[in-house]
Amino acid sequence: MVASQKPLLSVRNLKTYFPQDEGTVKAVDGASFDLFHGRTLGIVGESGCGKSITARSILRLIDRPGRIVDGEILLRRRKPPEGGGAEEVTDLTRLDPNGQDMRAIRGAEIALVFQEPMSSFSPVHTVGEQISEAIRLHQHVSRRQGRAKAIEMLRLVGVPLPEQRVDQLSNQLSGGLRQRAMIAMALSCHPTLLIADEPTTALDVTTQAQILDLMRRLQGEYGMAIMLITHDLGVIAEMTDTVVVMYLGRVVEQASVDEIFYNPQHPYTQALLRSIPRIHSNARERLASISGAVPHPYNRPPGCPFHPRCAAFMPGVCDRQEPQLRATGAQHLVSCFLYSGVKTPTTDAHR
Amino acid sequence: MNPPNGQPLLQVRDLQKFFPIRKGFWRRTVGYVRAVDGVSFDIYEGETLGLVGESGCGKTTTARCILRAIEPTRGQILFRTETGGSADMLQLSPSELRGLRRDMQMIFQDPFTSLNPRMSLLDIVGEPLLVHGMQNRREREARVAELLRLVGLRPEYMRRFPHAFSGGERQRIGIARALALHPRLVIADEPVSALDVSVQAQILNLLFDLQAALRLTYLFVAHDLSVVKHISNRVAVMYVGRMAELAMTEDLFTSPKHPYTAALLSAVPEPDPRLRSQRMVLQGEVANPAAPPSGCYFHPRCPYAIEICRTETPSWQEVTPGHLVSCHRAHDLQLNGVNRPNGATPNEGRRDPPVPDASGT
Repeated sequence: MVASQKPLLSVRNLKTYFPQDEGTVKAVDGASFDLFHGRTLGIVGESGCGKSITARSILRLIDRPGRIVDGEILLRRRKPPEGGGAEEVTDLTRLDPNGQDMRAIRGAEIALVFQEPMSSFSPVHTVGEQISEAIRLHQHVSRRQGRAKAIEMLRLVGVPLPEQRVDQLSNQLSGGLRQRAMIAMALSCHPTLLIADEPTTALDVTTQAQILDLMRRLQGEYGMAIMLITHDLGVIAEMTDTVVVMYLGRVVEQASVDEIFYNPQHPYTQALLRSIPRIHSNARERLASISGAVPHPYNRPPGCPFHPRCAAFMPGVCDRQEPQLRATGAQHLVSCFLYSGVKTPTTDAHR
Repeated sequence: MNPPNGQPLLQVRDLQKFFPIRKGFWRRTVGYVRAVDGVSFDIYEGETLGLVGESGCGKTTTARCILRAIEPTRGQILFRTETGGSADMLQLSPSELRGLRRDMQMIFQDPFTSLNPRMSLLDIVGEPLLVHGMQNRREREARVAELLRLVGLRPEYMRRFPHAFSGGERQRIGIARALALHPRLVIADEPVSALDVSVQAQILNLLFDLQAALRLTYLFVAHDLSVVKHISNRVAVMYVGRMAELAMTEDLFTSPKHPYTAALLSAVPEPDPRLRSQRMVLQGEVANPAAPPSGCYFHPRCPYAIEICRTETPSWQEVTPGHLVSCHRAHDLQLNGVNRPNGATPNEGRRDPPVPDASGT
């Protein structure tokens, strides 16, 4: 897979906040990363880390009162041949979420696969109708052509007897088939970027293996970029090239998948890797747990959000200021005071 | 590790649970979902038996039948009482069953729906005590305080309500409730799958510690094989209502004898990017328990199926000591299990020892 030099999508310092009566939830608080053609970026984190909101922010699917308060989302769009074939870069944060431009992008250039296929399909329309609706929204084709394309897409994603399945309702399909149908719908307009939000969490492990296999195969054939959002480090290890680790809305570490697993630097990443159960472990082996729990978004700790649970907590430093993302190696970024040269609190640490 | 010997605490024999499928205006029974279709196994005192399988395999239904939370269609569930006798749970009268109910308790999967939001912790954890005769309020409060401390929660919290607690803390409350009556057998149905990854480890460690301190026996029902490996002495694998394999944990993982077990092990995504090996991706869908295939239920998806697999149900037999399988080809297949990788494991030896858990477990 040859990666294009220029990123397909660049997210720069994205901030999505939700002002509520009880306070403002900073769901995403300064995320930056790049996505390239033919490569997979993984976003990993636990509940409340902001990974799903990041995906929805990219697609401008944030409901009021939430809004993007800062940052840029730069998409390198493909232009139709009559425009000269040149590429142009659009900042998605500047587009009207309900405008023509954004709607042309959503579904056609950037597609989204959700976690719960059951609740993402309409229960009263057939699978075929929904797939061909997605097609006909973006291409000028007749109803018959749309249906034919839907059958073709179902076949492509490995749904057996697609000519029959196309006329079924989503609840007549098993979990695995529904997820395949969702992928078929997402890919029907050949997007350049596929965002998959926990695409296999609701599936059995053998079905998960099939779906991950399918996504890899389709990426190989179409060269699309994939942004894979999950809490499962096993899926991250299997599927991704680069990884972004998020905690309570902030990016805490970002590196190649090998670096994240073999040279994790942020205490949260390290603790997470130590605490997960592994199939290669010894039977009845105790796990190294992380004390405490992810704080409620209204109770953000001051300074670094991870400090109450951190083994390397430095009093006076970590609870006073928020660390920034800094490069500690080629393509390896960490947001932690352990790496920023601040060892002891100083009198001018008050800001 | 040797297979357990001695008397089992619980013996399940040919357990079956069929759910009728009713159709039409007159609700005629047109067929059955064979949720549990002839399951037999033993659980020994002090051990953790893991019960794994994918959705629809019948593991939760099996667990509920053991507790008689649902009534089995057929079978025997023999529980060894304190006096050493053996009671068939399915033959007991309601009052006799009540006495035994103290000995077996359940921990549920969803910490958000398994606790009544209108009951305080004292009410929730104290309810089993009240039901079984502890009328004295002060006595109950003392026992609830003791239980909360046991699971790593502060006794001062007992007047609070579930919504004030995180998922992991709620699961601890559920565990405290399950332990209130000094049970001998605890059935944990997916106790960690709804929790964040960083909290799963805490709860698993807690279950470990409680087992040692209180001499508990666990039936641990889960779909996550990595989790099951960490907590089980022995593991049983179910497929569409039937037992596929049962063995000591290490044996099952390194030398599985049933093709379905091998496929399950191969399907688990390993958190190590240097181990992206070829895996055995199963074709097809899980069989339908309302209309299962003939012979061995797994044969349509099995890469090793031969003629007899289509026509005859394999018998549940011991192929090596302590290792039971139901497969016609158990003696001649060489299946791949999970091996310890050579070279460095991710993160091994790179960091300081883990921080002790501040919650006190």
